[in-house]
Amino acid sequence: MSGKIIVITSGKGGVGKTTATASIGAALALEGKKVAVVDMDIGLRNLDVVMGLENRIVFNIVDIVNGRCKVKQAAIKDRRIDNLFLIPASQSDNKDALTPEGVVGVSEELKEEFDYTLMDCPAGIEQGFENSIAAADEAVVVCTPDVSAVRDADRVIGLLYARSITPKLIVNRIVPLMVERGDMLSHEDMVDVLSVELAGLVPMDDNVVVSTNTGVPLVLQKESKAGSAFRRIARRLNGQNDLPIVVPQSQDRFWKKIGSRLGIGR
Amino acid sequence: MLGGFFRKVAGKSSSRDVAKKRLKFTLIYDKLEVNDDVLNNLHRDIVEVISRYFEIDKDAFKMDIRRTEDRSALIVNTPILSSKRKT
Ligand SMILES: Nc1ncnc2c1ncn2[C@@H]1O[C@H](COP(=O)(O)OP(=O)(O)OP(=O)(O)O)[C@@H](O)[C@H]1O
Ligand SMILES: [Mg+2]
Repeated sequence: MSGKIIVITSGKGGVGKTTATASIGAALALEGKKVAVVDMDIGLRNLDVVMGLENRIVFNIVDIVNGRCKVKQAAIKDRRIDNLFLIPASQSDNKDALTPEGVVGVSEELKEEFDYTLMDCPAGIEQGFENSIAAADEAVVVCTPDVSAVRDADRVIGLLYARSITPKLIVNRIVPLMVERGDMLSHEDMVDVLSVELAGLVPMDDNVVVSTNTGVPLVLQKESKAGSAFRRIARRLNGQNDLPIVVPQSQDRFWKKIGSRLGIGR
Repeated sequence: MLGGFFRKVAGKSSSRDVAKKRLKFTLIYDKLEVNDDVLNNLHRDIVEVISRYFEIDKDAFKMDIRRTEDRSALIVNTPILSSKRKT
């Protein structure tokens, strides 16, 4: 089995990389794929708590790269979702504990073991970024609809192109009402400015915070709009290219549409 | 949506449009920025090329990137001491 390594990156911090990694990873596993999500934020690990697996860490990615353990020994099996595994970051090492060469050195073992390996990239474009993209076959850039995040995304997209990786874009934290009101960049604006292909659109959703509080995967929350957006993104990444992109809509807009379908109101 | 309507009537652009316009400019500007290494190499190469045709005062040679609202210009200024005749 030779899997794919996908890096989830952004440039700017706090735009939803870790949320996206956990959710897409879980969704791919629900599609029946064997998935590892890897926390590449050395010294500041977070993916473990987001996934509710913080109490079960024995080995980490630095141990794997340094040959202290096998991939299989470090990968923590998710409690709720079959075929989903977490490879945590080390919390005590400093940032240069990993090198791009070291990561490339274990990439074959990862691809051997998993259909998909998702790298949760730290913010910035320094060492952690280099480590995260070193072995990547594909890249997903997460961006929020604000000027500074888009600018940073543009920089990261340029760096990925320089490595012959063509990234896809996730727009996260969309507030449909603000877009409709003309107070938030739309995904069309962002695609236009960044000239990049869309992987999907994720609305702002309180369930994301609830999911992080409890450690219950977002994609298992039936009523979560962000969760279902991530499930669609996963299916698209998994080769279902014809799956249409769903644009998040405000409640207002939704009822109007239903109304006009039924021939009432306008 | 109603807000958008009134804004259009009043001729004001939305903050979304402003953001998009600013971004387009910023991204173009960002890509025009060159680091010191590039500038030094360019300086060296231009001096070399011009020196093939003219005798120039290398110490008085000046090179600069000047930016205005809507464009960037590379400005090269050098005193020519004499021209080199091709034989
Ligand atoms: N669609 C969303 N709706 C609501 N909140 C969200 C959404 N996506 C992310 N968040 C929240 O935004 C915050 C930052 O998210 P996250 O940690 O995933 O970002 P990050 O890019 O990994 O950050 P860092 O750069 O620090 O690693 C979190 O508190 C998360 O719960
Ligand atoms: Mg993160």
